[in-house]
Amino acid sequence: MTDASKEVGRDATAPMPAVTARRNPLTLIVRFQSVIGLILVLIGGVVFSPVRHGQLLFLAPDNIANIIRAISETGIIALGMTFVIITAGIDLSVGAMLGLNSVLTAMLMTTANLGLVPTLLLVLAAGTAFGTLQGLISTRFRLEPFIVTLAGLQVARGLALVLSGNVYINISYGEGPGLAPPVFALLGERLFHNVVPVATLVFLALAVAATIVLNTSRFGRYVYAVGGNERAARLSGIPVTQVKVAVYAITGFAAASAGFVHAGQFSFGSANDGAGYELTAIAAVVIGGTSLFGGAGSMIGTIAGSIMLGALANILQLNNVNASLQLLATGAIIVLAAALQTMVGRREGSMR
Amino acid sequence: MTEPILEMRGIEKRFGGVHALRGVDFDLREGEVHALLGENGAGKSTLMNVLAGVIPPERGEIRVKGKVVQFASPREAQASGIATIYQELDLVPGLDITANLFLGHELMRPFAGLDNRRMEREARARMAAAGVDIDVRRKIGDLSIGQRQLVAIAKALSYATRVLIMDEPTAALSAAEAERLFGVVRAMCARGVGIVYISHRLEEVPRVADRVTVMRDGRIVGDEPASAPQARLVNLLVGRPFDQLFPPRAAALGPELLRLERAGFTPAAERAGWQAPRDVSLTVHGGEIVGLAGVMGAGRTELLSALYGAGPPGRWHGSVSVAGRPARLQSIGAARRAGLAFVTDDRRGSGVILRHSVGRNVVMSILRRISPAGFMSPAAEDEATRRSIRNFDIRPPRGDVLVGNLSGGNQQKVVFAKELLREPKLLLLDEPTRGVDVGAKGEIYQRLRALTGQGLGVLVASSELPELVGLCDRIVAMRQGCSVAEFPGGIDEKVLLESATGIAGEAA
Ligand SMILES: Nc1ncnc2c1ncn2[C@@H]1O[C@H](COP(=O)(O)OP(=O)(O)OP(=O)(O)O)[C@@H](O)[C@H]1O
Ligand SMILES: [Mg+2]
Repeated sequence: MTDASKEVGRDATAPMPAVTARRNPLTLIVRFQSVIGLILVLIGGVVFSPVRHGQLLFLAPDNIANIIRAISETGIIALGMTFVIITAGIDLSVGAMLGLNSVLTAMLMTTANLGLVPTLLLVLAAGTAFGTLQGLISTRFRLEPFIVTLAGLQVARGLALVLSGNVYINISYGEGPGLAPPVFALLGERLFHNVVPVATLVFLALAVAATIVLNTSRFGRYVYAVGGNERAARLSGIPVTQVKVAVYAITGFAAASAGFVHAGQFSFGSANDGAGYELTAIAAVVIGGTSLFGGAGSMIGTIAGSIMLGALANILQLNNVNASLQLLATGAIIVLAAALQTMVGRREGSMR
Repeated sequence: MTEPILEMRGIEKRFGGVHALRGVDFDLREGEVHALLGENGAGKSTLMNVLAGVIPPERGEIRVKGKVVQFASPREAQASGIATIYQELDLVPGLDITANLFLGHELMRPFAGLDNRRMEREARARMAAAGVDIDVRRKIGDLSIGQRQLVAIAKALSYATRVLIMDEPTAALSAAEAERLFGVVRAMCARGVGIVYISHRLEEVPRVADRVTVMRDGRIVGDEPASAPQARLVNLLVGRPFDQLFPPRAAALGPELLRLERAGFTPAAERAGWQAPRDVSLTVHGGEIVGLAGVMGAGRTELLSALYGAGPPGRWHGSVSVAGRPARLQSIGAARRAGLAFVTDDRRGSGVILRHSVGRNVVMSILRRISPAGFMSPAAEDEATRRSIRNFDIRPPRGDVLVGNLSGGNQQKVVFAKELLREPKLLLLDEPTRGVDVGAKGEIYQRLRALTGQGLGVLVASSELPELVGLCDRIVAMRQGCSVAEFPGGIDEKVLLESATGIAGEAA
């Protein structure tokens, strides 16, 4: 372009309106709502913690280990769910998938007598395939992911019940037929002075990977674009259908990983385990600031949201608050998180 | 006839760091058409949004018929007879025309719910009063952008008893429809309604307006009679002498990029209102800008989107070749691999992601190129963003502003920048300068010419005849999915209009 044409249409003398990066405070709160929430919950935990032998129970190493262990499985699931929800989708099958894959893990190791690595690979492949299939069905036949994964939930639960005969598949360790390799039991152990559960380490590793993929990879950008405006993404050459299938493959993979961890932690596979985990995961994602309308959200938020929900449940338990009140508290927090988001959405997106 | 029905005094509005209105005075008399002009982002829509009760001003006073008013919502403004045709149309895509016309004002039968029959009858009458002929049972989502514009006009007309605000009403209309709209405008004036008319098409001003006010950077910079020479208006608009809108035409033709010979596209399933290309013959060479003229429904948008593989599923027949080789253009991927790029006329629906930043939007088409090994290169992304903002003079010049917070014309520049970052061989443009101010238009034209100088070919559909005539090397007229005539650039607009509407002889 020539110098002359560059100046066309621009007023060289009038000052450009000064634009600062100022954001309104509400936007900032929503941006970091899960982190702020997490800090508040942790402070609350310390304040309301019962004291035993002069020590705050909430901060006892055993208790902390408990919290981070308890969130590892739903946390892993929530990581996958974040991708799906950013594309404006939803995956309801993940809890049932956890049950199915815990059964699969137990059976492959004991009945089929496979080693650790072949079992892991098979389980992950099965979960990914199941998720892919759901993605394909939903994109090919233009069905709402809500419906497809609701059906997937039933199918996975049914398969798990058939496979296991509706009994716990116990895992015993040792050398020989029908026994699982002892290293598998590590998933139920704690490391570093008996504080950090191995299951949590798995969650952390996957969390780091998920954050990197979502924030810095091309695929991550595709995910945001598809959720932001599917038609614009398609016209810009983004392989929308493949991206949509891929995110369900990711939730399948995450649910299978969680199922594998579950079998290791408890030394059994159980078809009915994981029920309701999908809702906990969705709650963590929403509290983490990810929009159910798609196109916006963050992995860090999801991670903080997961820890926050775990810590909250723990405080309530420590204070012997009964389970139904715990549900109420979680519900209230979800509504608060969602309300904050819409308020900001309305302010920003108003008349345009 | 001359008493002001509306006065705005010292209106101020800021959005974060953007000072959109800096003490604006504006008035409107009964029965007059007051044109409001200004560059993209000058603050025209914001001023009208303040008037219509969409956003509250920070300071300033509004008087209607001498009485101070404060509108807390668009509904209150409507109740005092102020109706608006918004630049970004406020229609619900999932509902039909009738439901949209009566949205929030539904007619009821006592104890029997909605009175659908009466609403439909009235909807038909309202559409007819606005000079529009579209079946009122059709869903907004199935209408073309131009048709949606007409529906929005019909909707606003029925509430305008004192003031009608028209924010770029002709942006998506072809010359014939615009002409009909002017008739409606004059009829409204005769009933004493005052009209604020916003447009970037300067040639419309002397035809509809009585008076012109020009805004720049949130201030009023000029008040002129509508008979003021265009050059004077342009001066006020861009703030400095501006001599030439259209750059000189191409000197040398490159190789043939696109050739259609009696080509047509048959969709797998008939889609209402989708005028499939039936029999189109045309060529586009490198270095050349070819225009598509036609009235609404002539099939120009459909031709472009089918070429880009973005139409409904279906098959091409006849001969389609790209760069001398037969091409199938069955999918967007195939079209893009062949070097095609497409700027749609529906920028909000399929051009940009409103809730993402300018930077995120412009690089969307080149994600693959700037992510070696699958991971984004922040440096390359930054560079591409900055280059786009500079080349298209996007304002405010920042990559992190949400596209949804840009003025309409600047959103259009983002769509443009996004597609051109890919450096395509053949660019398909559908109403490329819709809502773009005259200065920025000049800049876009210059840019297109600079790129054609490097071998780019452009096929552009536009409803603005002056644009086709001034910009293009050749112009193909279309009617009902067929190409009917071809003209050299610079042809008389009248001849072109006759050919496109089919009122005079077909042969050129
Ligand atoms: N909701 C908002 N948030 C932030 N900035 C905004 C918002 N609405 C408008 N602006 C800014 O205010 C300025 C004026 O915008 P406005 O839409 O009034 O321009 P305009 O004159 O109508 O332009 P165009 O001709 O392109 O439609 C622009 O810089 C725009 O980016
Ligand atoms: Mg505007």
